[in-house]
Amino acid sequence: MTAHTSDSMPVPRQASAAQKPRRRAPVRISESRRRIENLVLQVLLIGSFLLLWEYASDRWVPKLMVSKPSDIGSTIWRWLLDGTFATNLWVTIQATIGGFLLGTSAGMLLGFLTGSIRRVGEVLQPIVTAFYTLPRLALAPLFLLWFGLGMEFRIMFSATIVFFLVYYNTYFGVREVSRELISAVRIMGANHFQVAWRVIIPSALVWVAAGLKISVPYSLVGVVVAEMLASDQGMGFLLARGASQFSAAQTFAAISGLLVVALIVDWLITRVTNYALRWKTAGQQN
Amino acid sequence: MLLDIRNVDFGYQNEQPLLVDFSMHIKKGEFVALLGPSGCGKSTLLNLAAGLLTPLDGEVDFGGNALHGLNRQVGYMTQGDTLLPWMSVSKNILLPLELRGVPRAERQQKLERALKLVNLVEARDKFPSELSGGMKRRALLARSIIYEPPMLLMDEPFGALDAQLRETMHQELLDTVNRMDESVLFVTHDISESILLADRIIVLGNRPLRVMEEIRLPWGKDRNLNEIRGCDEYVRLEHHLRDLLRMSKH
Repeated sequence: MTAHTSDSMPVPRQASAAQKPRRRAPVRISESRRRIENLVLQVLLIGSFLLLWEYASDRWVPKLMVSKPSDIGSTIWRWLLDGTFATNLWVTIQATIGGFLLGTSAGMLLGFLTGSIRRVGEVLQPIVTAFYTLPRLALAPLFLLWFGLGMEFRIMFSATIVFFLVYYNTYFGVREVSRELISAVRIMGANHFQVAWRVIIPSALVWVAAGLKISVPYSLVGVVVAEMLASDQGMGFLLARGASQFSAAQTFAAISGLLVVALIVDWLITRVTNYALRWKTAGQQN
Repeated sequence: MLLDIRNVDFGYQNEQPLLVDFSMHIKKGEFVALLGPSGCGKSTLLNLAAGLLTPLDGEVDFGGNALHGLNRQVGYMTQGDTLLPWMSVSKNILLPLELRGVPRAERQQKLERALKLVNLVEARDKFPSELSGGMKRRALLARSIIYEPPMLLMDEPFGALDAQLRETMHQELLDTVNRMDESVLFVTHDISESILLADRIIVLGNRPLRVMEEIRLPWGKDRNLNEIRGCDEYVRLEHHLRDLLRMSKH
């Protein structure tokens, strides 16, 4: 028997396609909604961590070691009221900005010169690399001798750390500039200065911006380390004092202050570099 | 004679010489296409005319004067995208005028004309990353002609475009250079492109670079590209050039 029952009859292709449930279009979440959702998740995550910390302190972990968010909060509040926070934070911010500006401008200038002038690069690049391999902490005693305990010591110490980050980024940025672009602009009538201003600097800016962004936390680290080594002011000093007095609350309060400074400076740098590099993202879809 | 390359020798270090005793010339207002196999030295000829390369021997004259250093009297449009990505379309097109110190009012006037000419008025404030391939080519063309150089050097300028867009660009290029009475030295691989655009085709052979044949094309300046494509002469030339190119590789 070859007869087919209706159950075993082959179903026409078209009919099966028609019966198939239609696939749902992917849901698109707007950018603002995504941001709000992310913020809520971050607040929830940090909040749960703080609650867990508050609960665990003195139950699972000795309070002397980790303190408590509530104690840290009250220390921050006390420092805010008596001006400790403002005075020391301001000292650290000034030194960070000073170190950042000095280190980045020196790094950009030298990186630009060594990257764009062949002979300067050949002579200076090995010397810079030799200094780069030197542990920066080894310079601290020397800087203390030269600049004393004041602001200059912190700024110089921070600048030496930041300098190399920006120097290498600028150097490679300048070296990577398209020769074709330079030739095109030279044929249009540009002199050496115009080539540098119109092509090399903007083109290297992508690399420099990356260097600047990395430099922000490092300049802060430089200042805090300098303040911890030898200082009677600043957030690094508060950190070291808290540790020496076995006060985890003071140490965490100082760290929180540093965190706020780092976030603000990073936000500022990100805004500035995003504006300067807006041409890179123009035309891209989210 | 606008461009006169006389008895030029050129080669790169540790390589077989590219040009040996090579000569060619271009008259004012002439559109010359260089057709030849890859790597034969067509782009090198353009770089010599632009002054980006210096001959090992021989002379390159431009406008009756021997060329020493960069030739700033040419507009150079390469295969690559040389728009400055951090500048808007308008600023890119204006750049040569700014570099040459042209007064602001005159710059603006020329910009408006150039934008209209290449149909980029709407895209004037966009960055290059926001443009399509064809729009980028048009912006590059506008930037090359805005300072009205007596000669345009073009190295496969439309190679990356699709066929339809290339046809549009061909007509735009011809209209522009005819209106401005510019000379053009145009490097291409595309036989059809060379027949449609050029007044004269120079077919080049491989290392060392040599002229295999020069063909003067019968169509005048106000040619109709569609009519040319349909005529017998076009087909005959296409076959002839294809045979020549086949031979040039050996």
